[in-house]
Amino acid sequence: MRLLQKIFSSAEFGPLILLIGEIVVFTTLSPAFLSAGNISNLLAFTPELGMITLGMTLLMIAGEFDLSVGSVFGFAPVLMWTCYNTHFTSLFVGFLIAMGVAALIGFANGWLVTRLKIPSFLVTLGMLLVVRGTALYLTSGFPQRTWSATSFLTNAIAGEFPVGELRIYTSLLWFVGLAILSGYVLTETKTGNWIQASGGNPEAARARGVRVNRTKIMLFVLTAIISAYAGITSSIRVFAANPNSGTSYELEVIAMVVIGGTALSGGRGSIIGTVIGVLILRVMRNGIVLIGVPGLAYNIFIGAIILGMMALHSWLERRHYAR
Amino acid sequence: MSEELVRMEHIKKFFGRVQALNDVTLSIRKNEIVGLLGDNGAGKSTLIKILSGALRATSGDIYIHGEKVDFRNPTDAIAHGIETIYQDSALVPQLSIARNLCLGREPIKGPRLLDRLDHSELSRVASKLLKQVGITKEIPATTPISALSGGERQAVAIARAMYFESELIVLDEPTNNLGVDETRGVLQFVRNARDSGHSCIFIAHNIYHVFQVVDRIVVLRRGKKVADDVDPKSTTIDAVERLITGMAL
Repeated sequence: MRLLQKIFSSAEFGPLILLIGEIVVFTTLSPAFLSAGNISNLLAFTPELGMITLGMTLLMIAGEFDLSVGSVFGFAPVLMWTCYNTHFTSLFVGFLIAMGVAALIGFANGWLVTRLKIPSFLVTLGMLLVVRGTALYLTSGFPQRTWSATSFLTNAIAGEFPVGELRIYTSLLWFVGLAILSGYVLTETKTGNWIQASGGNPEAARARGVRVNRTKIMLFVLTAIISAYAGITSSIRVFAANPNSGTSYELEVIAMVVIGGTALSGGRGSIIGTVIGVLILRVMRNGIVLIGVPGLAYNIFIGAIILGMMALHSWLERRHYAR
Repeated sequence: MSEELVRMEHIKKFFGRVQALNDVTLSIRKNEIVGLLGDNGAGKSTLIKILSGALRATSGDIYIHGEKVDFRNPTDAIAHGIETIYQDSALVPQLSIARNLCLGREPIKGPRLLDRLDHSELSRVASKLLKQVGITKEIPATTPISALSGGERQAVAIARAMYFESELIVLDEPTNNLGVDETRGVLQFVRNARDSGHSCIFIAHNIYHVFQVVDRIVVLRRGKKVADDVDPKSTTIDAVERLITGMAL
């Protein structure tokens, strides 16, 4: 009885019901929804945004967020493929350079937020423009080709393999692995305790010796690295590194995280909730196209879901405190 | 008389041209509860903030066990065994009781690289400390702080000071906004802390609460110490009120 009560009152319960509801509705309205081809499609792009949400969840629980993830998603593959296509480096070294530059971007975000006490909204908004502008400048706005380099690295990042009738990308395995690792860090480790304390009450955490600034900087770096990796994954899958790719992903990623029950104010959230949030928005995007709703109406549904979920989380929270 | 634990000597504090503390000397012995009283603006909070590392004195020294110390921040004070519990308890509301108690000194099991929390040790420590502090109600260690009452939060904060082996616990208005039963509970938590070998400084506007729990009263008025070693058993509330306000006896 107590277990059931715990499940019903958990922040993930509402989103899970919504996800199940979406699947039931779309399956009823479109027989193609559960077809192997459609599931393969759904699972191809989901890991790329999904990976970014994992870093963003940890960062938001620590009380910050990052608007530059979409631009890093676009910039990192441009850098890697420019290095390779101009014969400046091998593909692997290009990959390391892109990841290293992403880490520096994350570090700069974290340093400006924690040391200069500038709100993360302003810092990462500025960084978004700097990084996107650099990607456009480097490429004159043209995509970089990526189809000429099939290697162990590209197969490891986004190789394709069949599972029965499904076509699965290795990126799905990386996403699942990263989700399990993030969940473990958040709930089972001292670092996870520090992340939650840094967002819940930073002054109290500092007084206990928690390295709040270091924790936040580490999470900014992690989020940037994951965004870069996701961008590189996408560039391999679609055979192009477009300097404009990832535009407005930051808002979609934050929406996924918030729908999953993570508090914008920090201190509270879960990886499982975020994974459900990712699936809710991806299934919605996929399903409304299948049932014939114009793609341009997508944002109406997303906005409604966000508002509905916020109302639900707020109600659950008030009920929790009223006890 | 027991050994001296903390001594603040000739403490002066200026905020611009305003003098908040004027040559205050305060000593706390082991295993005693000292009531620090004074009207608004008397300098109680400033003195406590200097002792907890939140403010630095303009001049004067702090000694712990006779050794001079310099607190640059609250972490320094905690490292020297001084824990200050403010009205908001400085707890993380979203974290559980056990995770709050051990925050910053979490028990780890297995290889260090895995950084894995020892949940059974966390629960064991939490239930032991909650019993020690005098919480008799069955509260699971996994309960988030946000679900606790004001009195229970104070108890968790005191228990945390015990876990960090603090020698001196400073309680700043711990009974503010609490009901009668909860206040009684907090006063008992303070007595239990003394019985487990801790010293306390108890600051409260309500003199009745102070009289119920302290061994000695110190009074500040307009930044100066006007009374020390006042024994609550051999004085009256009226007499202490006159000391606080400066009215003639």
